[in-house]
Amino acid sequence: MPGFVIRRLGTMLLTALCLTFIVFALTNMQPRLETLAKTQGSARMSDAEVQSWLAREGFDRPMLERYGEWLGVVPGWTREQADGTLRGRCIDRAGDAAAGTRCGVLQGYWGSSTRFNAEVGAVIGARLGATGMLMLWVVIVMVPSALAIGVLAGMREGSRTDRSLSTVSIVSTATPEYVSGVIFIALFASSTFGLSPLLREWGLMEANTLFLGNARSAMDRITFWNFTLPVMTIAMYGMGYIARMTRASMAEVMTQQYIRTARLKGASFPAVVLRHALRNALIAPFTVIMLQFPWLLNGVVIVEVLFSYPGFGWALVEGASNNDIELLLACSVVAVIVVLATQLISDIGYAWLNPRIRVG
Amino acid sequence: MAGALPMLLGAFAACAAVALMTRGAGGAAHGLHRAALAGVLALGAWILFDGLVLHGLAADPDLEQLARGQIAGRMIARLWPVWAALALTFAVSLWYRRRLGLYGKLFDSPIGMIGFALVMFWVFTALFADLIATHDAIAQISGMRNAPPGTALPDSGARGAFFLLGGDSQARDVFSRMVMGARDVLAIAPAATTFAFMVGITLGLPAGYYGGRLDAVLTFVANLVLAFPVILLFYLLVTPDIVATGLPMWMAAVLFLFPVIFLCVLWNSRFANEPGRRNLLVGVTLVAGLWIYSGLAFNADPLGLWGMSPNMLNVFVAVVFVNAPTVFRITRGLTLDLRSRDYVAAGQTRGERPVYLMLWEILPNARGPLIVDFCLRIGYTTILLGTLGFFGLGVSPESPDWGSTINQGRQLLTVHPHIAIAPAAALMSLVLGLNLLADGLREESLRD
Amino acid sequence: MRTITEHQPAPHPAALRYAAEYRDGRLGRREFLTRATALGMGAGAACGLIGVSARGALAQDHGAGTHGGTLRIQMDLKAMKEPRRFDWSELANFCRGWLEYLVEYNRDGTLRGMLLEDWEASDDASTYTLHLRRGVRWNNGDPFIAEDVAHNFALWCDESVAGNSMATRMTPLIDPATGRLRAGAVEILDDHTLQLHLATPSVAIIADISDYPAAVVHRSFNGGDPVENPLGTGPFLPEHYDTGLRGALVRNAGHDWWGSDAGAYLDRIEFVDLGTDPSSWLAAAEGGEIDMLYQTTGDFIDLFDAIGMSRSETVTAATLAVRFNQDSPPFDARDVRRAIQMAVDNGVVLELGYDDRGAPGENHHVAPLHPEYADIGPPRHDPEAAREMLASAGHGDTVFELISLDDSWQSASCDAVAAQMRDAGMRVERAILPGATFWNDWMAFPFSATEWNMRPLGVQVLALAYRTDGAWNETAFSNAEFDALLAEANSLADVDARRAVMARLQEILRDEGVLIQPYWRAVFRHFRPHVRNAGIHPTFEMHLYKYWLES
Repeated sequence: MPGFVIRRLGTMLLTALCLTFIVFALTNMQPRLETLAKTQGSARMSDAEVQSWLAREGFDRPMLERYGEWLGVVPGWTREQADGTLRGRCIDRAGDAAAGTRCGVLQGYWGSSTRFNAEVGAVIGARLGATGMLMLWVVIVMVPSALAIGVLAGMREGSRTDRSLSTVSIVSTATPEYVSGVIFIALFASSTFGLSPLLREWGLMEANTLFLGNARSAMDRITFWNFTLPVMTIAMYGMGYIARMTRASMAEVMTQQYIRTARLKGASFPAVVLRHALRNALIAPFTVIMLQFPWLLNGVVIVEVLFSYPGFGWALVEGASNNDIELLLACSVVAVIVVLATQLISDIGYAWLNPRIRVG
Repeated sequence: MAGALPMLLGAFAACAAVALMTRGAGGAAHGLHRAALAGVLALGAWILFDGLVLHGLAADPDLEQLARGQIAGRMIARLWPVWAALALTFAVSLWYRRRLGLYGKLFDSPIGMIGFALVMFWVFTALFADLIATHDAIAQISGMRNAPPGTALPDSGARGAFFLLGGDSQARDVFSRMVMGARDVLAIAPAATTFAFMVGITLGLPAGYYGGRLDAVLTFVANLVLAFPVILLFYLLVTPDIVATGLPMWMAAVLFLFPVIFLCVLWNSRFANEPGRRNLLVGVTLVAGLWIYSGLAFNADPLGLWGMSPNMLNVFVAVVFVNAPTVFRITRGLTLDLRSRDYVAAGQTRGERPVYLMLWEILPNARGPLIVDFCLRIGYTTILLGTLGFFGLGVSPESPDWGSTINQGRQLLTVHPHIAIAPAAALMSLVLGLNLLADGLREESLRD
Repeated sequence: MRTITEHQPAPHPAALRYAAEYRDGRLGRREFLTRATALGMGAGAACGLIGVSARGALAQDHGAGTHGGTLRIQMDLKAMKEPRRFDWSELANFCRGWLEYLVEYNRDGTLRGMLLEDWEASDDASTYTLHLRRGVRWNNGDPFIAEDVAHNFALWCDESVAGNSMATRMTPLIDPATGRLRAGAVEILDDHTLQLHLATPSVAIIADISDYPAAVVHRSFNGGDPVENPLGTGPFLPEHYDTGLRGALVRNAGHDWWGSDAGAYLDRIEFVDLGTDPSSWLAAAEGGEIDMLYQTTGDFIDLFDAIGMSRSETVTAATLAVRFNQDSPPFDARDVRRAIQMAVDNGVVLELGYDDRGAPGENHHVAPLHPEYADIGPPRHDPEAAREMLASAGHGDTVFELISLDDSWQSASCDAVAAQMRDAGMRVERAILPGATFWNDWMAFPFSATEWNMRPLGVQVLALAYRTDGAWNETAFSNAEFDALLAEANSLADVDARRAVMARLQEILRDEGVLIQPYWRAVFRHFRPHVRNAGIHPTFEMHLYKYWLES
């Protein structure tokens, strides 16, 4: 078991290395560096100005060397400026004494974000925290309801409940976030359209709109009113898939011999479901839920942009559209960790839930 | 505002109808099926029209305005080639369904049939789009900005001179754009999915069959791509900067080679004993394949028949690239499972070559789950293309594809819902159809 | 002459035209007043022109404000830089809390002295005398003196600083050999008087120092982020500035601001960056999270009206230049450019591309709003003739590609241009590029559309964009007669004399088919009804000290 985990962590490290290198290569292509220079310097700079900007900021050296600097295996660059002062990767951060030292990921320095004018570590930390809250609520809403729908549907395969619940879950998987989110905003967060004007007319509501269609205020304080719509939008799309997996698993378990035996022994239907079927039926969905996390990340990006909630996905899009190199590198490291860690947890959890499988 | 509630009700009614219908699965009389199917389609159409048209009642009184029923009638009439083709397809398929294998069995499953009907509806719409569309999808007509559904053009009473589903914020016909958009979507999504499958299968079969270092390397690469946040990948790949570097062309050069390799190996392994037939098939594949290949990947088709704009190629490659690793993982898993089966062992003792065993013993037995995943994946790809549109990536300007029209229309959803809702309903119904079709296929292939 | 503000005693010709349109019912009263005052007419005179009482019409903009309250503004918060390198008005708007300007360009088109008490120009517009306001103090207690101003001119004139956009405006003060302030160009006469000696005459210099990168910094300032060390003369202080997220200004209680008897009403001003999607702004406004927007565009103007926010509007000389690059064939042929120009009806582009919110343009990039505008009549629209002209130029079957930025109104306008070219039988394709890519090559595209912000004087734009050596000459237009006439116009301090030269300049631009300039944009801003004196400024300046809240 420890060997297995160590091997997995090794893979994770290697994947992160490869991935960051690819991202580094793609973000450091010449046209993108020019774009960066123009967004940082001035939108209408001339080509000569762009070149001198790139040189001043240390972008004019070989890519591998700069990747090494980012990793912290090569000393950070230094360069004397026109006015005689010394500038460099490590000097900008820690002062002149840091000239010639290494400062990269290995030293705990993730670089600085050009888009947000701050250290990447701080930006990513704050944004991940915000996304963490969003994901927490999504899981709280999505998992129990998806499991409930799946179990109810799979309990009696082919029944009317099964058919209608299955249809609901198919419809929910066929509705992408960028459609459902927009419809939610129109229906619940517009003062002129949908539910809010009706509620106000009926005297049931004082506020302008029922829910807030913009989750920026959730950055300071999460309330039911500003967080419901983003959480529902992500949960809706993810729910259908888990529910269908749970249903399939439950339906299969219900045909097993031991369930039939339990029924024949005279146990009541609810007792059979709760005591015998449930535990076994939830093993398969557990892996599905864990593997769903990286996939939810996609939805998180769309929803965070749609509701302007400054989380990880929002930072990713801001970074990507402004070619914020070091921020994107940190984002890809986070993505690798999320994807591979959930895989690891799902494998271990699967073995733990199912004694017949051994991790190895 | 009034439009939204009936739409919601309609959606719930549709769900209920599907649920009710599927109850009668055991009975399986075609008459019932067809009647129910027609019912659902009619209901769906009604929902679409009703939702779209109710809010059109607050229209400018100066313009001639079609009533709700008239719009529905005209749309149904415009769609006649689709109805005819659907009717023909269903009649033929139901008649011969016992001889049509898995496809024929689909018609035993009501879910599958509904899904199939929805999918074919859009396929035929895409095919006959030129006949159906009432206007040029990119023509702008002065005075028709954000016009409500059923508005007559300013200066005519001629046939087709209405914006059946209204005008968008640039005075273009929403109905025609939705119809032409089907063509855009159905040109990319299934083709990209097919390519992803070719790549995934070509790599997944040997990985699962041989295992070992080959498997380890391929799995690592697949996981690498899967660990990439999709949207970051799109941001990095689907931009004009990248087109200039030629990277998508080289990726296409690699990815598009797989179908040709796959088919050549397929024929070669099957007809190794009949050189004449083999040479013919491999030759035809090579000539046709490389011809298409040169056109698609390098835009260098000598005859100019095949070609893709750099922008489109970029989107296409990115979508294939994102999907292929998942297909690889599924194929590899299935191969791992199937290679220990008796018929594979029998083939090995017969002295068959591994390539033959993979392509002609394992692959046919893995087709069920693969076909199901194929349907689901087309739907997923459609959603993915919409996501690209949402972030404004790789979108060709003025393109009527559903993703970007939804994105343009969503901003005005509360005042002019028809602009976003028509393509959104189209996208959802297509994805829903593909999901239902996949469910039907899964159900029927499990009965084998 | 006393000032260069171009404030005319006689009604501007365009104002008379607007008055006629008002009487015909084609123009609303509010709109008329905005336009007429923007032309430099006094509000009272404008009201007199259409016979209404000034008091009722303009009540909103007058009266002393009440102190107190917090104003929350939606605005992009881009990475901060030093003032002379500002490339977005938003950066300046935040810094306006504590950094002030020598001269302020007002909504009514007049220039008002802020840190300058007033100024004088010689008749040939080559020597300017600046009189500093007395009693102004920096918020660290230092007095504001001529040395501060001279230091600022030195900063503005430093061409070696990448992205120093003031340097392009200060050409007459720069020594071409060193790329710095010419020795003797700025002469300190005493602590409160300076003199500028221009190498070439320029009527634009005062307007230039009212522009947003010309924020006045302390004599000790030498580059860097102004937020980190907020040393200024203004009434507020920054509390925090989180790029891309939010920022806040609070009133500086410890500072005795020179204008405090009539301004700086708010206790606190918060800025929120909600991204570029207007539907997010709408959602935030509906949720009551913001009180005011930076700018509202397109269909959202009606949407913000519908949720009960007040609208403010002003016509500007901001425009979209659908221009040809004459270095790239086939646009080197004048007939091709003329044909495409003739195929396009500017009024239709205005309707479809900008929702009829503005005034049609005349293809010469000088606006009726500019004091020296000469009325040379509307451009010719004739699709039939256009088709023939293009065919005879041998490009009847050429496929043109029209490039635009991925911004909704810009691409919509280009789509409308393309649609009209197709109507005239031409073959057009469209390409839309994201901002970063677009600005990489914006000057070199053969056929593309560029957004131009307004400048107070017509000659400023012409010098920047159409002179052979213009810094932003994206059309590759090079015409000796044009250059000579422009130099002449730049030395004529008298507006009417300049107008005669302008007429010829405008004709040259149009006859040479340099650009399609479909419309002059009106710009809009919404705020909640209790926000006062916060009307939109034609160049998007936020004069924060004027804003107040009604309780």
